[in-house]
Amino acid sequence: MDISDLITPDRVVAHLKATSKKQALQELARRAAAFTGLHERAIFEVLLERERLGTTGVGHGIAIPHGKLANLDRLYGLFARLDAPIDFDAIDEQPVDLVFLLLAPESAGADHLKALARVSRLLRDRAFCEKLRGSSNGDALYALLTDSPASHAA
Amino acid sequence: MDFGFQWLALGALLILASVFAHLVSRRFGAPILLVFLLLGMLAGEDGPLGIQYDDARNAFLIGSLAVAVILFDGGLRTPMAAIRAAWAPSLSLATVGVILTAGVVAAFLSLVFALDWRVAMLIGSIVAATDAAAVFGLLDQHGIGLPDRLSSTLEVESGANDPMGVFLTVVFVEMLQANQPFLDLMVLAAFVRDMGIGLVIGLLGGYGLAWLVNRIEMTGGLYPILVFAGALLIFSGTQTVHGSGFLAVYVAGIVFGNRRVRALQLIVRFFDGLTWLGQIVLFLLLGLLVTPSQLTEAAPLAISVAIVLIVLARPIAVMLSLAPFGFTLREQLFVSWVGLRGAVPIFLALLPFLADLDPERRYFRVAFVAVLVSLAVQGWTMPFVARRLGLALPPAPEPAPRLDVDLIHALDRDLIAYEVKPHSRATDWPIHDLHLPERTHIVSVLRGDQVLGPESLERLQANDVALVLTPPEHSLAVDRWFSRRFASTATDLPANAGDFVLDGAQPMRELAESYGIAVDKDDLDLSLADAIQKRLGRNVGRGDRARIGPIALIVLDKIGNEIKRVGLMLDPPPEGWRGLLARLRRRGRADS
Repeated sequence: MDISDLITPDRVVAHLKATSKKQALQELARRAAAFTGLHERAIFEVLLERERLGTTGVGHGIAIPHGKLANLDRLYGLFARLDAPIDFDAIDEQPVDLVFLLLAPESAGADHLKALARVSRLLRDRAFCEKLRGSSNGDALYALLTDSPASHAA
Repeated sequence: MDFGFQWLALGALLILASVFAHLVSRRFGAPILLVFLLLGMLAGEDGPLGIQYDDARNAFLIGSLAVAVILFDGGLRTPMAAIRAAWAPSLSLATVGVILTAGVVAAFLSLVFALDWRVAMLIGSIVAATDAAAVFGLLDQHGIGLPDRLSSTLEVESGANDPMGVFLTVVFVEMLQANQPFLDLMVLAAFVRDMGIGLVIGLLGGYGLAWLVNRIEMTGGLYPILVFAGALLIFSGTQTVHGSGFLAVYVAGIVFGNRRVRALQLIVRFFDGLTWLGQIVLFLLLGLLVTPSQLTEAAPLAISVAIVLIVLARPIAVMLSLAPFGFTLREQLFVSWVGLRGAVPIFLALLPFLADLDPERRYFRVAFVAVLVSLAVQGWTMPFVARRLGLALPPAPEPAPRLDVDLIHALDRDLIAYEVKPHSRATDWPIHDLHLPERTHIVSVLRGDQVLGPESLERLQANDVALVLTPPEHSLAVDRWFSRRFASTATDLPANAGDFVLDGAQPMRELAESYGIAVDKDDLDLSLADAIQKRLGRNVGRGDRARIGPIALIVLDKIGNEIKRVGLMLDPPPEGWRGLLARLRRRGRADS
């Protein structure tokens, strides 16, 4: 599975504005509602539910909120770069400015895990994240995300 | 009149230089022991200072003293939990492993260098003992934590294999002296006698010393001296009655360190300093004793020994002696690689010389070079290897600074003053929700220049000083309430810790639902922590891993016996050779 199977150029947000974790998740849910056709509230609830299990702020300014939704037709990704980093309750207590949202249908099972692992591995590369931070337009971000060698399936 | 003060000054300067060298070596990640050894060589006869030191008998005695102190200190710091988790694999490494290591080196020497097999075995035995102090110093320096069972195994092994190395070396020295052609069953009898006497005296000595310390009232400063003299007596006394003093003093340290003893903090600190001094003196002395210009002659043999030791003998010994204990292949490879040699082999190599078997001190030089190579090659690369094999865990959080107050001895509780750290349990929960261990109470809180009662406070703040009364069995667990909950140093969350960090108290049901993982019906209502313990047993340690369907859960943090944070690994690599290759291939790609 490639990153390009998860995101499209219009699902890359170069300047997301939020001042708190809750607001960021709400904003992500609102945008996801637009392209999945699901209810914003339902998405937000699922993301919150997942955060209770443990934060998805994995350190170094990265967060990968994710969840499963019953009526989704396929996997959806959304990448956002925040203008101002926010407190995300991350494991290293550092503020977060790069967010990758991943939503999966209830039936996705192994595909969900694979996609999530791919995203997690991609964003673990710190040099790569610095490049993401350095570019401020959506197309450049999309190109970076889909071109990295780690974006492609093994 | 000449009182020899200049020698004292010279000694003091050398020790000072070693202390400062320690600062420098941290910056380069150089194994500190290597630095001490090089300093000794620099000061010696071929170096700028040109000190002539050639008294091997004297060096052997001082060396024994230093090794005894280091072993006692090692025992002192080994908690019972580590022994419980790791005694079986450690003992296997320290006995079977040492014999195999010596055997493989000997086989190589007699095949390639056509040495008499007894001489070959002698050299093999000399270089067989490992040194874990070097390993842990380096890991600390790089902020790397190891899985609990692995680090306990390495730690206990390195203490337990010194007595074995000494024993084997003595066996072959005596064999050569008596010119015996073959080993007979007497060796087994000697082994049982030496180790038996060592074990018994060590146990009795440890208990006796603890009893004595608790029994006698005296000035605080004398307790460490009493223990020092006691440990020394246990060591030398056992040697005098032909038992293994090295085993005795190590066992005594373990027993003593795990007893409830008055002034234990003082004693532990004293031995910490003494061990540093012991390491410095030991390595300086051995560095002084060797004549660097003669090392080149021993180099071909010594470097071959070092290479065989690193790539053949240690891995074979580790794989075979750890086979029954369920370590993963990656863990076995790591243990193989960190078989660092320290001072003990060099020190043991003095024995054949003292027994007139080696008048030119060839074995001494061989051991010396082998240790140099091992320290340099394995020591320097170890942090890299730990990361590469995916064994590095985030470091355990640094404990909150604490001051132990020795209360009247009859009282069964300790009074500890803690400096409360930010992001600790104590700051993040209200006082009445802290759930401190049983019979543990916060008696008073110092905030700035105020003294506050705990009942008047809603919650503690960072930098408060909390006075806590606690029974000694909880006194380590209580640390975790006042320390940072996790290391927030911005180091990597290593790949080994998984993709996400979960709260161990959350139910398995949540995990099953969030990730669509099939979980046994009985397990749905268990917490993640309980589900892991159900699979792996109560005694799980950091780094232990439970597979649940396609994912794996990894224990990241424990408070007492309770698992706090759990790593979620989405696509755990298969174990064994196939998994190792997959991991290396993947890492290679990410690096490019």
